[in-house]
Amino acid sequence: MKALPVNPDQSPLVVLDLLFKLKIKDVMTAEVITVKRTDSLRKVQHLMRDNRISGVPVSENGRLFGIISIDDIIRALDAGHIGDPVERHMSVNVVVLEEDMPLSFGISYFDKFKFGRFPVLNHNNQLVGILSSRDVSTTLLLELLKEYRKIEAQLPHHAPQPSGKVSQRFRVNRYDFENAGKASQAIKKTLIQRDVPPALVRRAAVAAYEMEINQVVHSTGGNLSYEIDDNKIDLLAIDDGPGIANVEEALGEGYTTANEWIKSLGFGAGMGLTNIRRVADEFTIRSTLGSGTRVHTVVWLKKP
Amino acid sequence: MKLTELIEPLACEVIHEGSNFTNTKIENVTASDLMSDVLVVDKHNLLIVTSLASDQAIRTGDIVGAHAVIVVNGKALPATMLKLAQELDMSLLISPLTKFMACVRIGRLMNME
Repeated sequence: MKALPVNPDQSPLVVLDLLFKLKIKDVMTAEVITVKRTDSLRKVQHLMRDNRISGVPVSENGRLFGIISIDDIIRALDAGHIGDPVERHMSVNVVVLEEDMPLSFGISYFDKFKFGRFPVLNHNNQLVGILSSRDVSTTLLLELLKEYRKIEAQLPHHAPQPSGKVSQRFRVNRYDFENAGKASQAIKKTLIQRDVPPALVRRAAVAAYEMEINQVVHSTGGNLSYEIDDNKIDLLAIDDGPGIANVEEALGEGYTTANEWIKSLGFGAGMGLTNIRRVADEFTIRSTLGSGTRVHTVVWLKKP
Repeated sequence: MKLTELIEPLACEVIHEGSNFTNTKIENVTASDLMSDVLVVDKHNLLIVTSLASDQAIRTGDIVGAHAVIVVNGKALPATMLKLAQELDMSLLISPLTKFMACVRIGRLMNME
């Protein structure tokens, strides 16, 4: 198997472009773990284990003397000289890369030499990094993702889907800040796909997000559902409890029952319901202490 | 003003470059740690300055259509925040400055009085 499934000569143009545009220094790991010539192989073994790496350059003050690979360590364990200083067993003929070389050069090295990593030197022959195949694949993936987004943004605008009714329901869990906002994002995405004007998308997204956050922060869990047709966006949040003691009071700006922990997460300013009312064309709230709260919000797409 | 013009004066570390990063235009800024306050803002080409180092800063930014989030006080970010910034295509930066100082410098750069 090839070290890297990328051919620096025959790849799509986007990839070839990246391979030349990216320099070794853009891709390498700059924080290199190194050892001194007098350090023991045992130390290298521990460094490899603790950092999950398979090669450690031997370097002092930036000058590269050699490299110890995991094979050297296995051999040392076999032969019983794991306590020896590294300079006795390191490879001294090290294949290196220069930081300003294009990435395509680095990739060809992985095929030409069967090493898992190459130390990287700057023009003063100082060790500045190390390049592993993992560095290459990670960077390439991220860069390709960026390119892909650029290409996607240039694509002709998708055909609008202005008609038909869509609806969806999401489960919202108490204190689940990790997922809070996902339902709102799905709603936002659907609206954008339907070519709803940005100002309306924003209002619906804000309403949905506040409704969702309210359930996460204040309820024991609930459901958030939306229904979109050509005329309006209908948002309905129904939770399982505990209900609001005084709805009038809760609607007041700045009124909050949130604890310090929730406030430290950026919520519980007592603006949620006020915000929903502000962005909504229709807003109703019903709550019974002990059973639950129902918030219904409508944003009109066409004035009725 | 371009977002990139803020990097040096605010000593920012760029955590994630959203698409079109170098040409991202900033015309409005909101500085808050309360996401409900951010959700009130209805402005174009928006930058959010916050000391809230959590996913919700990114999500809230996305909901109000902001282009970028700068987390101040040099706070360490949870790994999920970067992931979300990538997913939602939001530029994400960290500045070691306090929120006040960051705002002062942004204000000067934007010639705000």
